[in-house]
Amino acid sequence: MFKKILIANRGEIALRVICACKELGIRTVAIYSEADRNSLHVRFADEAICIGPPQISHSYLSIPSVISAAEISNVDAIHPGYGLLAENANFAEVTETSNIKFIGPPPDITRLMGEKEKARSAMKRAGVPILPGSEGILASEGEALEWAREVGFPVLIKASAGGGGRGMRIVRDEEQLPALFKAAQSEAAAAFGNGDLYLEKFIERPRHIEFQVLGDQYGTVVSLGERECSIQRRHQKLLEESPSTQMTAELRASIGRILSTTLSAIGYVNAGTVEFLMDEDKKLYFIEMNTRIQVEHPVTEMVTDVDLVKSQILLAAGEPMDSVLHGPIVHRGHAIECRINAEHPEKFTPSAGKITAFHPPGGTGVRIDTAAYTEGVIPPYYDSLIAKLIVRGKDRDEAVSRMARALEMFIVEGIYTTIPLHRRILADPDFRAGKIDTTFISRLLETHEPAEAGAEAAGRSEKRA
Amino acid sequence: MNQKELKELIEFLIEKDIAEFELERGDVKVRIKRGGDQVYPTPHFTGPPAPPAAAAGSSARTSTAPGEAASPPEGAPSAEAEKLHSVRSPIVGTFYESPSPGSPPFVKLGDKVEVGQLLCIVEAMKLMNEIESDVRGEIIKKVATNGQPIEYGQELFVIRLS
Repeated sequence: MFKKILIANRGEIALRVICACKELGIRTVAIYSEADRNSLHVRFADEAICIGPPQISHSYLSIPSVISAAEISNVDAIHPGYGLLAENANFAEVTETSNIKFIGPPPDITRLMGEKEKARSAMKRAGVPILPGSEGILASEGEALEWAREVGFPVLIKASAGGGGRGMRIVRDEEQLPALFKAAQSEAAAAFGNGDLYLEKFIERPRHIEFQVLGDQYGTVVSLGERECSIQRRHQKLLEESPSTQMTAELRASIGRILSTTLSAIGYVNAGTVEFLMDEDKKLYFIEMNTRIQVEHPVTEMVTDVDLVKSQILLAAGEPMDSVLHGPIVHRGHAIECRINAEHPEKFTPSAGKITAFHPPGGTGVRIDTAAYTEGVIPPYYDSLIAKLIVRGKDRDEAVSRMARALEMFIVEGIYTTIPLHRRILADPDFRAGKIDTTFISRLLETHEPAEAGAEAAGRSEKRA
Repeated sequence: MNQKELKELIEFLIEKDIAEFELERGDVKVRIKRGGDQVYPTPHFTGPPAPPAAAAGSSARTSTAPGEAASPPEGAPSAEAEKLHSVRSPIVGTFYESPSPGSPPFVKLGDKVEVGQLLCIVEAMKLMNEIESDVRGEIIKKVATNGQPIEYGQELFVIRLS
């Protein structure tokens, strides 16, 4: 078992990994930029090393700085968290070459899944249902047009090296295609250094359903069921829940079986999430796989009682699946997570600064994952997630009312947060009825058109609340 | 804005712990940025046992109380503050005082150094990074010791400017 782990991340996920290590009796090393000197993950790690200035590229994303810190602190393993270097195959390789275990899948798998078009082909060959679309990279606009005609408009042109909604364009008819093709190509080249595109059928009002998996080093891959993440704004998830109201036990089991077989054959190890879109006929289509622990992992933890981060550490240390999961996966109850961001709840402008009051809610079935605290400063250099509020209830109704209650009792002053937005989501009749899809948020935001002055007043009072 | 108003403004910023402030009033524009000399808790970094010189260096960093954060560089007596320069590591790594084991150190206490002169090596991922002096002066303190693990921004030498 590892004696010491370096956490190559910051904020709430760094703290989350530190929690798992502490419970396993493993010493922790935190890394931090100068802007994070007073962070909780620095405070609670056994050792902490400053690795650079606030700018991400010179600190958390600087592979030499991270590896150098790992070397001088003599760690056995590195946990990359999510984002940052978590899906950087080069980083995983350099870690392994430095004789440090990378807590995640092998670099080749990360590379495969990182090229979205290749991942699609691999899954298709293995029998996982995928959205109808192009085979291979689109060599030209002409080829794109042929595929679009075959698949049927509307279609989505996507960057193969992409993610996070960039390098994507919805094309609704033939006339629009050439210009949108070019736009997607240049955006992809600029954002990811790779302008390769592929094409998929576009579903107007899909649900986003993803499956959590864990794999050991001996070929066993287990599915832990689904999360529904349809509440998104500009492809950023805001709220996730499990189980999905659209999932049946049969569908969950059958997708689980396909994923276990496919991923085991590919050689998948450690934690991962397979993302699907579900159309109005409840059919699932693979879109991409994330080869890391995800932000919304607590949702699965709450309904399965499996500690996913501890599982990652044990699996990386060579434990077989039966030592990690003590028995079959059982789903109990319903869990919902709200991602609380340091942003204005209506304008979504980032709100960095000092938190003057921080009082998270508590009570039955409530969990908070956060690195924020009273007098803590949210720096402007990093993403705006400051807390994850997760609740569990015996069924969806209880989870919904519990989340509404918990949001009401969550006090953050000094900065703007998206708590008011989440309260609106929870109060929405369609949300309460489970009638959601990925267009939900844009429709919710459209129906609320306050005048400028009204918004300012609302903003100020919400900031105090 | 007269000097008195400016002084009051600065005191107000310190009291409210505001790091950056900009004000435009008529044809007066004021921009104040407070330096990064804030007090921070000692990083919990424990590599091999830290020798007394390094421990003294890092505790000097934290001995300044909050509220004095805007005063001259920590650790140094204010009368001579502007004459001392702290050489800090630009990278994480291991500090070496000489080009190879057994050979004499690049610099020792009392040495006069020029701009660009090689002071030490910080090794990171098997690459030897040469750290050069960016000032001219005399080495009055060797803070880091040979083989010591170093973090970004950690003090290596103190040079009295000449």
